[in-house]
Amino acid sequence: MRSLARRHSWSEEMAEDVVQDVLLTLHRIRHTYEPGRPVKPWLAAIARRRAVDAMRRQGRQSAREVHDEAAYETFADPQANRNEASEAADEVGRMLGELTPRQKEAIDLVKLKQLSLAEASAQSGQSVASLKVNVHRAIRKLRKGLGKGADE
Amino acid sequence: MSEQATEALIETLAAEARPVRVLAPPLKRALALLGLAAVAGAAAIMLMGDMDGLADRYAGRESMMWLEMAAMLTTGLIAVTGAFFMAVPGRSRRWLLAPLPPLLIWIALSGMGCWRVLEQDGVGDLAFGHGMDCLVFILGTSLAVGPILVWRLSRARPIEPLPVALLAGLGTASLSAFLLSFFHPFAVTFVDLGVHLVAVALVVGALAALNRRALAPA
Repeated sequence: MRSLARRHSWSEEMAEDVVQDVLLTLHRIRHTYEPGRPVKPWLAAIARRRAVDAMRRQGRQSAREVHDEAAYETFADPQANRNEASEAADEVGRMLGELTPRQKEAIDLVKLKQLSLAEASAQSGQSVASLKVNVHRAIRKLRKGLGKGADE
Repeated sequence: MSEQATEALIETLAAEARPVRVLAPPLKRALALLGLAAVAGAAAIMLMGDMDGLADRYAGRESMMWLEMAAMLTTGLIAVTGAFFMAVPGRSRRWLLAPLPPLLIWIALSGMGCWRVLEQDGVGDLAFGHGMDCLVFILGTSLAVGPILVWRLSRARPIEPLPVALLAGLGTASLSAFLLSFFHPFAVTFVDLGVHLVAVALVVGALAALNRRALAPA
């Protein structure tokens, strides 16, 4: 799956995103696999499709982005960065708004408040497994929204 | 680090995976739906069909009638079956092209029939009023059958909804046109044929527009 993802990706990170997309898709449509039929064509079709989707998403994102080196310049005086900081805060707020309530809660408890999974589970009522999935999905959404390649 | 996230995801998905009800094979699902449609169609024809009108329309050209209707029906059956197959990953993409031969035969035979009407009755008899009835019938029947088909297809949550939608639209419209033959008391003109094709295109377009939301819900 990784080698197929790499063939259709521009970077290792994008390839890994594709692999994770494929895993989530497999999980969602596992009921469509017919027992007794070869699994490779089924798996390969999902992997190819997700790789193509990722390339299209990257292409659309690149077409929308404008890179202006001068825009990255900032100044030492904090006042000069006030607008950028405010815009960044608005942007983060908007992206957080796009998360589902459970994803927001998972991020808040596990990453911002730094609770252990057991503590977060007790407080939120979500199972440990759900918390892990929701944190993972939230970070992916935020990462895509920011267009950065930061690790967790 | 990213690979570690993938390993963690695998662990999580494996932990939360529950047994699922496996979808029946696509052929079985297609036949089940088509069987139901056949029963409903047969009932409608028996109750309201104009068999005498059909016989009159094709008097002396019975073989043409059977060929044309067979082409229409075959297009519909193959397209609907193809939609069920294309909804499952890893199935042959030849299903996308499979309805084309009977579709082309249908259009060619209809065109020949229309030309014959034109030669017999002249241009003056090209009445659009009949065409509107055909449009309304095909669209109306498609509206009744289409959502059921989409609902059955959506169970597979197709990862490529667009080809599935195109085949489903073609299948629905073709089967509706086949049904129309039994209620169509007049000879088909080029206007009627054009309207049939427009109706088919509208149904296909409508389903294609729905595609992701209707067929592959999140």
